[in-house]
Parts: sequence; C-alpha cells; structure tokens
Amino acid sequence: MLELDAVTAGYDRRAPVFRAASLTLAPGESVGLLGPSGCGKSTLARVAALLHRPDAGRVTVDGEPVRGWRHRAPRRLRTAIGVVFQQPRLSADPRLTLHDLIAEPLRATGRRTEAPERVAALAAATGLTGDLLTRRPHEVSDGQLQRACLARALVLRPRWLVCDEMTAMLDASTTAALVAAVEEYRAEHGAGLLAVGHDRVLLERWCDRTVEWAGCAEPGT
Amino acid sequence: MADLTTKTDISRQWRSHGRTRRSTRTVRVTASALITAATVLAVLVVPPIVQLDEQAIDLALKLRPPSPAHPFGTDDVGRDLLLRCVYGLRVSLLVGLVAALVATVIGTAVGAAAAAFGGWTDRIVMRLVDTFSSVPHLLLGIFIVAMFRPGVWPVIVSVALTHWLSTARIVRSEVLSLRSRPFVDAAISGGASRWRVTARHLLPAVLPQAGLAAVLMVPHAMWHESALSFLGLGLPTHQASLGTLVQTARGSLLAGDWWPTLFPGLFLIVPTLAIAGLAGAWRERINPRRRSELML
Amino acid sequence: MKPDTVKPDAATSDAVRPGAVAPVLSVRELSVRFRMRGGRHIAAVTGASFDLAAGECLALVGESGCGKSVLASALLGLLPGNAQTAGSAVIEGTGGTDAVDLLTASERTLARTVRGRRIGLIPQSPAAHLTPVRTIRAQLAETLRALDRTPRSALPAAVTAAADRAAFPTGLLDRYPHELSGGLAQRAATALALVGDAPLLLADEPTTGLDRDLVHRTADELRRHTDDGRALLTITHDLAAAERIADRVAVMYAGRIVELTDAAAFFGAPGPRHPYARGLLAALPERDFRPIPGLPPELGDLPTGCAFAPRCPRATDRCATAPDFADGVACHHAEEPARA
Repeated sequence: MLELDAVTAGYDRRAPVFRAASLTLAPGESVGLLGPSGCGKSTLARVAALLHRPDAGRVTVDGEPVRGWRHRAPRRLRTAIGVVFQQPRLSADPRLTLHDLIAEPLRATGRRTEAPERVAALAAATGLTGDLLTRRPHEVSDGQLQRACLARALVLRPRWLVCDEMTAMLDASTTAALVAAVEEYRAEHGAGLLAVGHDRVLLERWCDRTVEWAGCAEPGT
Repeated sequence: MADLTTKTDISRQWRSHGRTRRSTRTVRVTASALITAATVLAVLVVPPIVQLDEQAIDLALKLRPPSPAHPFGTDDVGRDLLLRCVYGLRVSLLVGLVAALVATVIGTAVGAAAAAFGGWTDRIVMRLVDTFSSVPHLLLGIFIVAMFRPGVWPVIVSVALTHWLSTARIVRSEVLSLRSRPFVDAAISGGASRWRVTARHLLPAVLPQAGLAAVLMVPHAMWHESALSFLGLGLPTHQASLGTLVQTARGSLLAGDWWPTLFPGLFLIVPTLAIAGLAGAWRERINPRRRSELML
Repeated sequence: MKPDTVKPDAATSDAVRPGAVAPVLSVRELSVRFRMRGGRHIAAVTGASFDLAAGECLALVGESGCGKSVLASALLGLLPGNAQTAGSAVIEGTGGTDAVDLLTASERTLARTVRGRRIGLIPQSPAAHLTPVRTIRAQLAETLRALDRTPRSALPAAVTAAADRAAFPTGLLDRYPHELSGGLAQRAATALALVGDAPLLLADEPTTGLDRDLVHRTADELRRHTDDGRALLTITHDLAAAERIADRVAVMYAGRIVELTDAAAFFGAPGPRHPYARGLLAALPERDFRPIPGLPPELGDLPTGCAFAPRCPRATDRCATAPDFADGVACHHAEEPARA
C-alpha cells in the first residue's frame, strides 16, 4: 500500500499549496490523479515520491511510516518508488550519456555490475535504439530523452511508480509508447502507479481509476 | 502532370544567414590566443635556452635607450630590460597562476559546501565571506604580506586569500540553483547519497563556471602582485617582477627616461588583456543560450 | 482532377483551396539545414510548400524534432548563425507595401516592417515572453507606441482597446505577469501579438502544458482571431487542439510535409491518407492508443528513400525511392483519396 493521509504541503509553512490530501493506492493498482495546472498536484507527487517533506500528515509505504524525506529517507524506501517528471530536459543531468543516465541509480546503489544487462533490457523496452544510448541529452529529442528518463525510473525495479505529467510535452505516438512501456513493466512486476496529470482522456484510458484533485485535497491559503 | 511534381533532390540554392559580427570575434579570439601562447612560450623557453644572466650589471651601459643590442634599453645599473621583462613576466605569471588556482580550489570547496549543507553552515560561511569582502582586497593583501618576509610565497598566499571570496559566491549560487532541479530529485530517488549528488551531479556542473572564474582571476592576480611589489611589499627589489621593475624605474621616469617603465607596463597590460580575451571567448562557449542555438 | 503540382503560381497550386483569395503567406520549397562540425549537414526542413489565406488556419503537426519549430524560426528570421535556407516564403504586401520574401529580407527589414506588423507571434510560454518587471498595461503601451506610433494622449484608450481584442480583462491591466494565471498570461501575450494588426499570426505550441479546458479556451480564441480575417499558422504536437482550431492540417515527418489536407477530412471521415498520419491519430488515447513502432530517423542521416518506410506497415520496395508530394500527400501507398 502507498498511503497519503491528511498531507499538507507547500513551500512556505504559513501558506501551504494544499491541505489534508489523502490518497491510497493498493499494491499493483494504477491511479490517475486529475487536476488543473497550479493546483499542487505536482507537489503531492513529490511528497509521494519522498522528495518533498510535507508540513503535516502521514505517508506510509508498504506499511512502513515515512519519517524522513529526500536524503533523510532510507535508501530502501526511496528506491522503492520510481519517479518520472514532466520536463525531460530538466530531469536529466546534461553531462551524462543516456546509457549513464539510465545506469546511474545502479551505480549510486553499488550494483554497477548489473548495468550492462539492465540498461540493454530497458532500452529495448522503452524503444531506445541504435547509437542513442551513447548520446548526451542535448543530442536527442524530448521524446527520446523522456524514454531514457522512464528507463532510469524503472532500472531499480521499483514497487511503485510516480509519473508527474510524464507525457504533457510529448506527441501522441510517444505518449502511447511510454504508457505501453509503463504498463508492460507493471504487468511483469506488479508495481503500483500514481499518474498525475490534467488530461482526462489519457488518464481514464491509462489507469484503473481516476481521482479528482478537488475530492482528494483542500486548497491551501 | 506527374512529371511536374517537385523532385526531391534538385540542386538547391542555399543561403547562409550567419552574421558578420562573427569575423571580428574570431580575430579577437585568435589575437588573444596568439599573444597568450607567445607569453607562455617566452617565459617557459627563453630563460633555459638563452642562458643569459638577467642580473648581469654593466654600469658603463646604464640607462641606454632601446638599441639593436638592447631592444628595450637598459636600466639604471645597465641590465638588459628585455631579459628582465621576460623574467619579470615569468614571476608575475607564476604568481598569478598559482594564486588563481589556490583561490579557485578554496572558493569552489567553500561555496559548494555552503550550498550543499545549507542552513546554519551556509549562513555562517557566507557572513564570513561578506566580512572578508568588506575589507579592500589590497589592504587585506598588504596585511598578509606584512606578516612574512618578502618572497614569492607570501605574495601568492596574499593574493589567493583575498581572491577566493568571489569564486565562493559564484559556486554557491550556481549549486543552489542546480539543487532545486528535477535531475537532483531524480538522483535522490535513484538512491544517491548527499555526497554522490554533490560530487557527481552538482560539482561537475559548476566546474566550467569555476574554471572561467579562475582564468579571469589570473590577470587580476598578476595586477595584485604587481601592485604589492610596486608598493615595495611584494618581492625583494633585486628579483625581477613586473611590479618591482616599474617600482625601481620610477626615478628615471622623472628624468625623461621612458623605457624602463613603459616596457614592463606593456608586459603587464598586453598578456593580461589577452588572457581576459580568451576567458571571454570561453564564457561565450559555455553560455547555455549559445549552446541551445545549435540544437534542433 | 486537382492539379497535383506545387508550382510558384499560387492559382494552380493545390495548396490553395479553390475559390480562395490570394494567400497571405506563400511558402515554396522551403528548406533549412544546419551546418555542423566536420562538414555534416542536418536537414531540418526539406522542400516545404504551402499557402495560407486570410481567415484560414493551418495547423502544422508532428512530433518533437520533426522540424516544425525550425520552420517557424525560418519564417521569423530567427535562425541561428549556422543555418542555411533555400526556397521562398513570401508574405503579401498590405496597404501599399511590397511583398517580402522572409528568407531573403534583411534583418533591418524584418525588424522594422515584418515582426509585429505583418507577423504577430503568439509564444509557447507566455510567462517567459512577457517582461516580468512591467505591468501588462505598460507593455501594451510600449508596443503600441513602437508599432503604431500612437500619440501619448490616445494611449489609454488604445491600450484598453488592444486588451479588449484579446479578451483580456481591462481591470487586470495593472497586474504583473506573475500575478496572472496561465490563461490570462496567454491572453496578454495574444493582445501584444495583435497590436500591430498583422495579417498573419504565428502560434508556436500555444497550448503545450495547459489544461484541457484552457487548451479549448485558447484554441477557441485563436479561432476567433482567424475568423476576424487573419491567417493563422499554428505549430503544435497537440492533435486535439489542432482538430479544434484548424481548417487544414499539414503533417510533418523528418523535415518534410508528408500530408496537407482539410482538417475535417483528416480528423473525421475518411481520415488521413499518409500511413504516418494514420498512425499518429491512432495513437491518441481516445482512439487505439497504440504507438507507431520505432523512432523517427536522424535528420542528419536521412535515408535516400521514404523516411517513414522503416516504421511503415505498408512499406515495399518502391519506398526505396523518396515519394513526391502529390495531391496533398507524399507516399507511394497512400489511402485512396476521398471521392467527393
């Protein structure tokens, strides 16, 4: 279970972006969170990925309450949740080749020996072909870079996946390809998914159920 | 009508849209590179090969204007000025390079540490930087050299300890702006430790900026050294440095002998401008806007 | 039979709909390539031809990196220094001015008579396009003075009128850009683009990153400006927005326009004729939600034949030669055109 209970978060304690947000994902379930832009759903996605410390509320991952966020979260918990962001340009270290980008979590967790095999498998799964893996982010298109970012999120075999507007910048075909890659991974590993976005048609097609932002959180001040 | 359809690889008349401003920039960069290369070559090659004694005194030849035998003339004890200028440049460049290197390492380490740890560490370190910055550099430099006997190392220490402050500020603000990027979030989510995020993602990203600051600092450090030596606080007067050369030649300037001050002055101005010119070209290269121009 | 040739003579070109008036913008064989290190070239746009008439909206669709933004930059004269162009892009003269070829005009001509006056640009991210430290009123006034030489006394009324045209609430004119929502910022940027009363509007990804509601609102507003008699070229990867706004659709793939057709036929029956365009539509979540296999080719290393052939379900030996653009589509195996 991935549970968010009465979470209040923002960037200024006196003016939270949202209050009392609650959301529960069953193992293997995919949930689409629908909300208008600027409502705070990206902040909620960061809280769920243990990347942003909420001002109040509880987050529980597979029964284990989360006590620290970002570097203070245990590595075991952090790596149980893969995350993909909206803008691939900003989410990729510009100096790494796509191969190193995908392999980086393996290196950071001392599992670099798995890298050649895992990167090859994920490149195939996300449709990265040819010499793309040897290039740096500025030499590939947004769509190709986002494929690499998805591969990076999957490389540690997370039990949960948080996709924050993963396809908002992408064309229809790349969107369908990325969603198919996510679903293939989930079918194989039984991972749960929180997909945050504003595209109702997409999320309703993609996810088991969708949740309206208004029904899940209260606006901040 | 099918034969009239557009053929795919008909020869096209290509037009370029490059701006002419480019060529003047190229000239400037080339000139800077040539002068810098000549400077480095002169100070590296001339002293070991020429085997002339820049301290050789010939009182019969004192204060001669430039001539074929002594292209830059001689000083008040008959030493060849060209040779002394080259040796002076060697000392000044050495001081400038080493001081800039030391200052950059200190500044990068302090700035990155302040930004990476944040909180109280950041506040205390940056207030310390502010305090040091509020004292004029030269005054602080004089204070430091005054504690030691004149020599090369006190000057280097003095220059380095007064110049790391700006680098620390640059590096800190760069790291702070990078730290909030999603790629750092992605690294944390991928299990990277605080140390790994700093060493693998943040520091490499600020190195071009820090390197640029270091190169820009070399001319600054050379001027600082010259100023200290000119005030008589830097190197001992018998040791040729561009500052001491101008300092000892001051007296003869009043007598109308222009060459002992002019040539050391030019040796200070021209190479420092060239190094700054190269740094400018580098800055343009690492400018993200120019880089993105070449992207599709 | 419709003429299947793209010739400089607009009257016989199938890029113009029958009975349409003289085009505002006439693009012929527009190509852009970038010189790279080692003498390599990247062919970003190859042989693009289309016409755009007043009151008409053409949507240029395609995935990221297909060359559509480069085409827009070429029309605005904003290509980087290593770009080379070929072909022509002529914008008609208005009010006694001459027609201008956007590709050969000097920077001075472009700056003084084209940008803002003949082409209004509606930017991708209005928040970045607006000056953050000045109010919307100040920015509108400055643009009015620069473009129209509006006398100072007439400015307040002119600013209000300009805001009205883009449906920007006049009560919010004294706000700064960061105090506006995404939709309002988009309207403010549109108001600025409309100031010069340019006959051609160019919208570069006007709906990227916006909510569905906001996409619809923005699209409807752009449609309204088109119905006022302007020509609108919108560049987008958002097919839903294109469907809502466009009269015609041009599909770009690997730098070429592979299909140029009526929007109603493209999105409705009988649908697109080019296999790539069919695949793109089928990938929409409201349709099959199935991706086109493979990746687009590198623009620096295009195959000699059809660029789409490696991904195409219909590819045959014929595809080893590049198909010509004929009758609105560039494909050897295009769907039969609709029998009207």
